[in-house]
Parts: sequence; C-alpha cells; structure tokens
Amino acid sequence: MTELLLVQSDDPAHSPGGERFVEDALHLAAAGHHTSLFLVDNAVFAALPGALPRVDEFLGAGGHVLVDAFSAQQRSLTPDDLLARARTVEMDDLAARLLDPQTKVVWH
Amino acid sequence: MAPVPRTDVLLAVFGGPHRTDLVSTTFRLAHALLDRGATLQVWTCGDATGLTRRSLGDSKPRNVVDWTRDHPSTAAVARGLIADHPGRLHWYVCRFCSDERGMGDQIPEVRRRPPFTFHEHTQAAGKALTLGVC
Repeated sequence: MTELLLVQSDDPAHSPGGERFVEDALHLAAAGHHTSLFLVDNAVFAALPGALPRVDEFLGAGGHVLVDAFSAQQRSLTPDDLLARARTVEMDDLAARLLDPQTKVVWH
Repeated sequence: MAPVPRTDVLLAVFGGPHRTDLVSTTFRLAHALLDRGATLQVWTCGDATGLTRRSLGDSKPRNVVDWTRDHPSTAAVARGLIADHPGRLHWYVCRFCSDERGMGDQIPEVRRRPPFTFHEHTQAAGKALTLGVC
C-alpha cells in the first residue's frame, strides 16, 4: 500500500503554511490514504499535547505521527512529553521510508 | 559536460542554512541515506551554496568554552561524506547563486552547475526533496 509521507520542519503552530500542511495530511488520512506526518526540527513542538489540534484530528483520522528523536532531544523533549500516539524515531526511519518505492514524500 | 548520474534521492537545499536546523538535518539525512546504501545528490542554492566554499577551511573558529575540541566546518563535513561514499554522493552548487554571493571558490569535491540544469538533476533522481522552503 502506498504511504504518503509528509515531512514538516517548521513549527506549524507558528507558520500558517505549516498548519495548512498538517491540514493537508489530515485530509489525506481522512480520505483513507495511509498517511504519516514526520516532525523534524522545530516541528516537533507540534507533537506536544494541546499544541496543535489539527495533529490530534490527524491521529483521530488514522494518521501516524513520527517525531525525530534528535530534534526532540535538542529541545529537551522526552517521549513522555509528547502525544501518547506519537512515535519517536531516528533519522534512519525516515531514510528507510524515503527509499521505499511505495512511499511518496513531500518536505515542507 | 558530464551527464547527471542517476541517484535514488536528490536533496535540494534551498533555505537559509543557519536560520534553522537545516544544515544538521541535511547532513543527518544524507548520512542515514548513505548508511542504507543509497545513491544521493545534494544541490545547494542561495545562501546554502556557502556550505562548501573553500574559505571555510577545515575547522570552525575555536569555541571559547571548549577550547581544545576541533569542530569541522560544513565544507569539511561535506568533503568527508563525499570521500567516504565514492560514487554514491554527488554534491552540486548553483553557479549563479554562489557567484552572486561571492562564493564561487568552492572545495574541489563539489561541482558548480548553471541553474538551468536543475531540471536534469530532478529527472535523474528517484525522489526529490526541497529542504528549507516553508
């Protein structure tokens, strides 16, 4: 099954384009696509509980939230600080998905 | 002019490199892809062309709170990555952007390319990502 992978690098709560990007992910997940949102750099703040309601909606629609471990550590965030359904992963996880022919990816 | 080699991934680094974590994220992702055996192109545009300018030398200026540690420059990191993955990492620098910024003198491991050839690089990549433009 094709995975749609959306990589968000800017904090979506502080960039209108970033929030719209998460909305795009939400629409794709709600339409039944296997959709993952990879949060890296300042975007990891979007995985804090209550930071961005769209992320909760995205999870509710069946989307998967992946958080870059290094970016989270750089900001003193532990997995316990993040949404329970967000999964902390290494950069190798992103590389593996990128190289999977079944994955379509967009970086924002 | 040599043809653009076919690669699994193209990372187009367009953003201001030191405004965010763009530099470290680009290098980390490049590392991870190469560790998985992938072939990779990096194309830098705008201020990111300065990452590999020769004047950076091998080391960053000494850190006053960590005086004895050597911190490699971005040019040295790029050079090391290219050397460690012969034939698998190709690093290109936009000629126009680097000339415009007075950064045309680049380390010899990278190639400068005219901007109108960028489409050749996207066509030669299995997947293309543009980093740093939000």
